[in-house]
Amino acid sequence: METSSQISLLTALLPLIGVIFIIAVGVVILNQHFQKNLYRQKLQQEEIKNRHQQELLTSSILVQEQERKRIAQDIHDELGALLSISRMHLVQLEEKEINQGPHILPALQNIRSLTEKALGSMRKISHELMPPQLETFGLIKTLEAVAGHANKTGNIAICIDAADHFPELSWPFRLGLYRILMELINNTLKHAGADTINIELNYTNGIISCTYTDNGRGIQPGKSKNGLGLKSIEGRASSLGGNIHIGNEGERFRAIITIPNIE
Amino acid sequence: MTLTKFIIVLSHIPIFITALYAAFLYRSLGKALKRFSLFLFLSGIIQGISLAFWFLNKNNFPLLHIYIAIGFCILAWFYKTVLKGFINPKIINITIVIFLLFTLVNSLFFQTIFTFNSYALVLECILIIILSLSTYIFFINDIAMESRIENITSINWINSGLFIYNTSSLVIFYFGDYFTRHFPEYINRYTWVLHSFFSMVMYTFFYIGLWKRRRR
Repeated sequence: METSSQISLLTALLPLIGVIFIIAVGVVILNQHFQKNLYRQKLQQEEIKNRHQQELLTSSILVQEQERKRIAQDIHDELGALLSISRMHLVQLEEKEINQGPHILPALQNIRSLTEKALGSMRKISHELMPPQLETFGLIKTLEAVAGHANKTGNIAICIDAADHFPELSWPFRLGLYRILMELINNTLKHAGADTINIELNYTNGIISCTYTDNGRGIQPGKSKNGLGLKSIEGRASSLGGNIHIGNEGERFRAIITIPNIE
Repeated sequence: MTLTKFIIVLSHIPIFITALYAAFLYRSLGKALKRFSLFLFLSGIIQGISLAFWFLNKNNFPLLHIYIAIGFCILAWFYKTVLKGFINPKIINITIVIFLLFTLVNSLFFQTIFTFNSYALVLECILIIILSLSTYIFFINDIAMESRIENITSINWINSGLFIYNTSSLVIFYFGDYFTRHFPEYINRYTWVLHSFFSMVMYTFFYIGLWKRRRR
């Protein structure tokens, strides 16, 4: 009798194990399903966060550029005008002084010379803040002008090689690429000890690629790759929706900037 | 009235209170809680009628067949709303269809409407346990917490109530047949008292869940 009861309990218990197994499998499968969806949602959240950061970066760069433009214009239009008028008055005074007596002429000539220097510095600062030819003549011409000025010094030779079909870029891309290249040139001049810079600009299927090389020391391993300048370059490239790969080609420094979807 | 009968009658009180409370709050409830309230209304109505049938010594099993089929659909719908965006709705929809087909076939051919439909009840318990356990695991996740599921505290209480009741019911219904055959009647009655106790616990949890809803 006891054996029969035990068998009966066993026959009742065995399917229960099956039931518990079904529940466990159900929970595991559903959990896997949730994990997959949760991972997808997490990726979406990260994407939104990244997009938001990119927008912030782009807008902060835009604000910075607008401010630079305003300062450059103010310096050029207001301070430049004032200095030009001062110079004109000084020239007139010099002419009067020549007729009346030469005792204060050297002082006047000195002031005029200083004013001319101030005018020159002002133009230089203003152009550096926002090169006027970039807006008028485009990126290639501006870079060629920069190369021309640098080459005149005899310390460095900058070679610009742009593809024939290189398009006229819209203002944010033009300015962004110009700033990146100027920062790279600046770095080469300051740290690389190079005497040649090559800039290649290509355009294929809506993608801009720019290869920058110099024959300097290159990046020392683990040393200057995290510098503020390179971070700013990366930030600018990212704000244009592109990327930059910085490294060495042999012992030479090389940076490849890729900007897709410029249309 | 015996003590057992008294306890069984007493166990219906939380059902009616919770259903009335849900009816009172219905307009102010969120989407998920509104859907869950439908289950409470169904419970209130079906349990009320079945209690009346019980007093009149009439067979109330047909009501149980309806209650299980519709009740599960509403609960699955509730879980679909809670887990929206994290669960493929097709999974719930297919589960509902399969469950309805199973209950229909069971009621027509195996456990007719005048008998106790333990198979459908056991299957319902299994499915609800799977859903409630998965929801527990899901709620632990940081992203689920960050996604600010509406009325998560309320849903947690309701989910807990469903989990406690269905786990205990599964054992009671599963071994029901075994108890009937091997134990005297008074012990069988105790199992129903135990079932009533877990039912009271579940509806108390539901009440707390509604009470802890987000005030608008």
